[in-house]
Amino acid sequence: MFRHRLFFKSGALFLSAVLFLPAIATAAEGHEPPPLKPEALFQLGKLGVTNSMLVSWIVAVAVIIFAQLATRHIQTVPSGAQNFWEWLVESLYKFLESIIGNQLVRKTFWFFATLFIFILFTNWAGLIPGVGTVGWGHHDAATGVFHVDRPLLRGGNADLNMTTAMAAIFFVLWFIWALQANGVGGFLKHLFAPKGETSGPLKLLLIIVFFLVGWLEIVSILFRPVSLSFRLFGNEYAGEVMLGAMAKIVPALSWLLPIPFYFMELLVGLVQALVFMLLCAVFTLLIAQHEPGHERQH
Amino acid sequence: MTLFLAASSIGDSVREIADTFGWDPWLFLSQVISFLIVALALRAFAYKPILRVLQQRRDQIAQAQLNAEKIKQQLAEAEQRHSEILAKANAEAQKMIDEARASASVVAERKQQEAIVAAEQIVAKAREASALEHERTMAQLKHELGRLVVDTTAKVTGKVLTSDDQRRLQEEASRQLA
Repeated sequence: MFRHRLFFKSGALFLSAVLFLPAIATAAEGHEPPPLKPEALFQLGKLGVTNSMLVSWIVAVAVIIFAQLATRHIQTVPSGAQNFWEWLVESLYKFLESIIGNQLVRKTFWFFATLFIFILFTNWAGLIPGVGTVGWGHHDAATGVFHVDRPLLRGGNADLNMTTAMAAIFFVLWFIWALQANGVGGFLKHLFAPKGETSGPLKLLLIIVFFLVGWLEIVSILFRPVSLSFRLFGNEYAGEVMLGAMAKIVPALSWLLPIPFYFMELLVGLVQALVFMLLCAVFTLLIAQHEPGHERQH
Repeated sequence: MTLFLAASSIGDSVREIADTFGWDPWLFLSQVISFLIVALALRAFAYKPILRVLQQRRDQIAQAQLNAEKIKQQLAEAEQRHSEILAKANAEAQKMIDEARASASVVAERKQQEAIVAAEQIVAKAREASALEHERTMAQLKHELGRLVVDTTAKVTGKVLTSDDQRRLQEEASRQLA
């Protein structure tokens, strides 16, 4: 229920951003919204390095350096960076432990924590002034304003490649953890086997129903990476569009209007990081947990 | 055939969506590698040391609590032992006092008896000595009385008394004195 509500809310936000906000911005200033695809900055062989990739790398390096500094001289009584990092890691660990349990969190914590931390700081990095507004462009002769056509930096999660990459990694890990928890037979049984104790014709009916439901479940599982990646991308892209529109809709108030939306985007960045991590954790819990009475078999 | 067309149509739609959103296999792969590097680096350098420290801290707290509990138990045992020792010492002291009292009573009794015996002996000796003194005094008195009677008789009668008369008079005076 919680998942569906989130999906619809984020989907509605994405649709409104894609459909309405560009219209507002365009109507107000006659400018196009930011493009859906990132801009390639330069080529490394076959690989094109994009502006969003650059932001992802900067965030990744910053997080790794900070974590390394925080854990370089670990003290029993923490202070400074170690204190903050400990607070973050411990809070996340306890939070995840309360949701997915003690056993599963030990195995999966590194991935879920990285998802949260990386998504959160990438989202917030996209709000730093200069991201999306510094780059290559042209002077508009009519208005005399400089328009950025190819920004140097772009929000890391406003790039579908980044969000699908995280979703795809989760999908692979989810599959591995599912097989580790259930085995191949148990995994198939988890999908197709009827639940509950029945007998006679009802049992036969339930076998057919659960077999058909199993295929629906497979479709649902296959679409999880799509929903995860598009939800995050949609929210972050919508945020960029909204901030751009607010900055341009009333030129005289371009310094004021985006400010409330910056606070909202800070919140959205946190919520989206939490939602992505929580959904991944819950999907993992659903496949790894056993029905009561089956625990002794594993 | 229909299935192939449907698959082809889905493939075209997917390609169109990917193109619209700028999804590219190489960019995707690059981001996969980037994210995996971040995740594995954080796992090795950021989570493990912190989780190890947190676990150590939890163990230390648990150990400290265990030690505190042990100390509390030892303190309770020591207090119990102390109370027992105190009670035992009190009992022994009471016993010693009772014994001392009993012993003192016996000694006092014995000493009293000894004193009574000694006093009785002293009294008896005194009586004996007194009796002896009395007898000696009586003997002297008899002797003196006899001599006085003899002297007096000799002076009154004016005759010289013989030894037999003197002995008879002395015996008569002694008899009358007794």
